[in-house]
Amino acid sequence: MNLYLKLLSGSLRSRMQYKMNFLVSSLSYGLIMAVDFVLLAAILQRFNDVKGWNLYEVGLLYGISSVAITLYRVFGVEIHNFERYMVEGEFDSLLIRPVSPLSLLLTKNLDLSRIGGTAQGVIILVISIIGLSLDSFDMFLLLLYLPISIASGVVICFSLGLLTATFAFWTQRIKDFQTFTLYAPFNAANYPMNIYPGWLKIIFFTVIPVGFMNYTPILFLLDKGGSIWNLAWPPAVALGFLFLSLRFWHFGIRHYHSTGS
Amino acid sequence: MIVADQLNKHFKIYETKKGFIGSFTSLLSTKHHVVKAVNDISFNIGEGEFVGYIGPNGAGKSTTIKMLSGILHPTGGSIEVAGLSPQKRRKEVAKKIGIVFGQRTQLWWDLPLRDSFDILKEMYKVPDAKYHAFLKLYDDMLQIGQFMNTPVRKLSLGQRMRGDLAAAMIHDPDVLFLDEPTIGLDVNAKTSIRSFLKELNGKEKKTILLTTHDMDDIEQLCSRVIVINHGQIVLDGSITDLRHNIGLPSVIEVQYREKPQHLPAEFDGIEKMRWEDDKLILMYDRSVLSSPSLLQVVSKWGEPVDIQMKEPDIEEVIQKIY
Repeated sequence: MNLYLKLLSGSLRSRMQYKMNFLVSSLSYGLIMAVDFVLLAAILQRFNDVKGWNLYEVGLLYGISSVAITLYRVFGVEIHNFERYMVEGEFDSLLIRPVSPLSLLLTKNLDLSRIGGTAQGVIILVISIIGLSLDSFDMFLLLLYLPISIASGVVICFSLGLLTATFAFWTQRIKDFQTFTLYAPFNAANYPMNIYPGWLKIIFFTVIPVGFMNYTPILFLLDKGGSIWNLAWPPAVALGFLFLSLRFWHFGIRHYHSTGS
Repeated sequence: MIVADQLNKHFKIYETKKGFIGSFTSLLSTKHHVVKAVNDISFNIGEGEFVGYIGPNGAGKSTTIKMLSGILHPTGGSIEVAGLSPQKRRKEVAKKIGIVFGQRTQLWWDLPLRDSFDILKEMYKVPDAKYHAFLKLYDDMLQIGQFMNTPVRKLSLGQRMRGDLAAAMIHDPDVLFLDEPTIGLDVNAKTSIRSFLKELNGKEKKTILLTTHDMDDIEQLCSRVIVINHGQIVLDGSITDLRHNIGLPSVIEVQYREKPQHLPAEFDGIEKMRWEDDKLILMYDRSVLSSPSLLQVVSKWGEPVDIQMKEPDIEEVIQKIY
């Protein structure tokens, strides 16, 4: 724990060395997020009802999904930018330490400029919960479950990020894959799964299980269907998927090629 | 201390294409050729040995070191470092070895040197008392104290290398892997690093494996040399063996104002003497005859107008072995 704090404070101080860059990037991400938010509101205003889901209900899905992916982007920045470790052979320096390379990667850097996106997601969640005007028991259950849903989302996102990163052991580059494994699925998960064709639904509930983090539990919590089991699925899927991705990651490390010097 | 048994590392080189589709198909394609970076290498390095591991670029030196330190997994064969397999018990081995890559710093680039040490102290769980003793000792040996509070990116190459060496020693490892620690350094920095390494090996009895392109490093430091080329060992023996095998001479070219009339036919320490136009070319053994005393000798023979010293480099040495 002590080490974790030391490493994190080190990475933060490294970042602060370039104060101007830090401020500018935070500001620009904030701007991008604000534009994104306005766009979403405009779209939802036009379509009052998306296949039986009203604005606030979709807002709930949207909030969970965007909080999950932005938290991953804050804490998993080095996983997300993992190809640099392959292309420049920097992975070597992680493997000579008596600590797992994954924990070194997670402590190496925080991308605080992404926290704006998290804030935006939280704001949407708050607006949606107020707008839903649920009775007190349903409200209580929703508030209780929301952290679990978000945590499951972060874990699923992290696992997807790690799986994608692991491909870099063979392909070196992964930026192109991320569009298909992270950006597109998480954008899709902003909206209810029942708007998608069957084959896409199958993907979102199997190989890229983003449907589980918000759609499955919210379905039950808003009385739209499903059983109490819908609440058990998200953490179960998240943990199972995390386990798989860690196995794949360790398998990948064995195939690490390094670079010539 | 370090045992490699029939070590092999083969790389499959796949043809990578551009773009998403390209990288995806190359992920699935089986088109490749195999490069045997390390091909059946075996050696056993005892405690306290100082071994030079030399060979031309691409011979497999770094690949071997990366396997010994647990970074790469061998295709075949087995390794033991301090009694443990670096592949199966990487973290334990990591606590017993120190690694320096001359080409790439292991320090935190944007932080002051001291912060890197603090982080490493925590990582290797070094007790406070030991850590303070370490700081003091290494300030004495490498004078790192004077730039402890400078961010690593602002250090000179020589300072950075000293910092890297100290950082590799923070957990007091028994084994040291040094991959070209003197690369790009000026003469002074090289000298200070060599005397430091000598002390580590002599006083502290550290086992050291060193790769280098500098013959002086080898001559001044190593008691044993392993030469590899194309992934295979071509020579494993002492400096004397190396010298014996290839006659590792230093070369000097002397140009005289007037060609001396008679030269001694033989001189202790001089291995060969020949004229090339009006230049006298001498090959000599520096362990018998030092350069300054050779200079005295040649200036007794006549009045030199130009003297050039030449060092054989590793590439030349390797070629001679073949």
